[in-house]
Amino acid sequence: MALLLDSDDAPSARWRPLARWAAWAAAAAALLAFPLAAGGFLTHTATLVLLTVIGAAGFHLILRVGLVSLGHAAFAGIGGYTSVILMMTFGLPWIVCFVAGGVSAAALALLVGPIVLRLKGVYFVLITFTFGEILRLIFNDWQSMTGGANGISHIPPPWPALMDTRAYYYLALFAAGAAILFCARLLASDFGRKMDAIRESESLAEANGIPVFAVKVIVFAIGCTLAGLQGSLQAHFIRLISPLAYSFQESLNFLVMNVVGGSNSLVGPIVGTVFLVALPEFLRGWVEYQFIIYGVILVVVMAALPGGLVELWQRACRWITSLSTRSGR
Amino acid sequence: MFTFAILSQIALNGITLSAIYILVALGFTLIFGVMRIVNFAHGEFAMLGGFALSFFYVSLGLHFLVALPIAAVAVGAFSLVLERVVYRRFYQREMPGMIASLGVSIALMYGGVALWGTHQRSIPSAFSAVYTIGPIFVTAERVVVIGVCLVSLALFYLVLRFTRIGLAMRVVAEDRITAEAQGIDTVATYRFAFFISTAMAALAGGLIGQLFSLSPFMGLMPLVKAFIVVILGGLGGILGAAIGGLVLGLGESFVSTFYGASAAQFISFGLIIAILLFRPQGLVGRKEG
Repeated sequence: MALLLDSDDAPSARWRPLARWAAWAAAAAALLAFPLAAGGFLTHTATLVLLTVIGAAGFHLILRVGLVSLGHAAFAGIGGYTSVILMMTFGLPWIVCFVAGGVSAAALALLVGPIVLRLKGVYFVLITFTFGEILRLIFNDWQSMTGGANGISHIPPPWPALMDTRAYYYLALFAAGAAILFCARLLASDFGRKMDAIRESESLAEANGIPVFAVKVIVFAIGCTLAGLQGSLQAHFIRLISPLAYSFQESLNFLVMNVVGGSNSLVGPIVGTVFLVALPEFLRGWVEYQFIIYGVILVVVMAALPGGLVELWQRACRWITSLSTRSGR
Repeated sequence: MFTFAILSQIALNGITLSAIYILVALGFTLIFGVMRIVNFAHGEFAMLGGFALSFFYVSLGLHFLVALPIAAVAVGAFSLVLERVVYRRFYQREMPGMIASLGVSIALMYGGVALWGTHQRSIPSAFSAVYTIGPIFVTAERVVVIGVCLVSLALFYLVLRFTRIGLAMRVVAEDRITAEAQGIDTVATYRFAFFISTAMAALAGGLIGQLFSLSPFMGLMPLVKAFIVVILGGLGGILGAAIGGLVLGLGESFVSTFYGASAAQFISFGLIIAILLFRPQGLVGRKEG
């Protein structure tokens, strides 16, 4: 969070790096200690948040080149089904299945990407939406392999010790941390700058010698790989997999997380995921209205706060610093 | 198997489907053409049309052919409220507009769940007669569906081609700034286009409710079909929507009769991939920059 306080006029600039490290250390300690303090249910929810963050970060990468993929959840499904089927039908060790989950999503993305990425903007949204629905149909109709509409239940955990929710929490924390770190490094690298350039103006990026199409295909594949890895981890955590979990609505959730959190920085999807998984907890007893509220929130954020909650935070910080400097004078 | 009687029967079923698909896709493509908004809530307006028809026809006992246009106008009027509150903020902003319309879509869908529950309902058949023309059977229901679609398509064409507001819509779709410079009230034009679009979706929704069934989640199917039709035909054109709708409806009808419904879904996706590979602008569309 300290990363966001980037206004130049704050007087304590010298303390900034120290404060930043302290904040990171505190956050890490809090995340590590969380399951020890929280109950089973909260730990379960937190694990889900961590796993969802992986997919949301993948969605974010694709969003950063200016594309919205509404087939994202279907790629999580590819990862999940691949991993579960390899483990339960062929008895392979979990780590192989996990890697295969990511590889299968990546392979499919590399196969489909060059075709669907010919389309831009709204057309891309339409085609990924349709593609996601087709994948869901395959999950639904390929009875012998995927168990049809009922899906596959009694999925074993990666290894027996991970039956325990707390143990799984640490696996999820490690995976989410690695994914976020990877995305952050990627976005900060030269390649990340190319991504931003493509989002801002594709033709300008092209004119500056950036291989626009290749970058898009790579980003799409990376994003989908993260979705696939999430799908695998999540299937072995919930221990149930069904086509319902990979529908268009789930892809929509990834979009909502990114938009509500803020789509201009990696912090956005993290905040958005926490918010969206935590929100139903606050809306208990309002379950039937939950999605109506989601819809309204989406509209309001798009209309009034295009930078999402992150922008709200930045605005608040700016407001506070402007208040303090004014009172100081 | 491939006798003339069977083939023409399948073709007739296909044309019925096509008629509905074209009705949905035309409104969808109109909003995109004029306002540059991909309206993800388009299917939900069809859903509302179905429930409005159910209200006017079943609950109030009006004649089907009276209830249907009233339902469409009612949904169109309701959509104008949403236009004022939500859509007007997103004109000409493709990405934000699309995301906001997704929000409208889930809010309406689950609003429907809160009002009407999740179970499927049906609208009792209004026409039970069956005619035989040579070797094929034609139910009066299908005649009505095709007739309603033809009439509304004809009306749509006449309005767009021969009225001032139709001319205004075409100009705004072509170049908004020039249109404004010529003194065209773009906001009024948007409002009118939005009304027509949602009313046509509502008509289609009523017909879908009559042919199939009614539920708050029924909007997804017409939306997906509209997507496929506009990818086939190219976004923003009338001729494209008509051709795309015919190709999809007839194709689905033939494939699902001989190979089952899920095969039809796969084929339609395969078709889209092929189109995108060889003609990204659609069968009749122009190239987009």
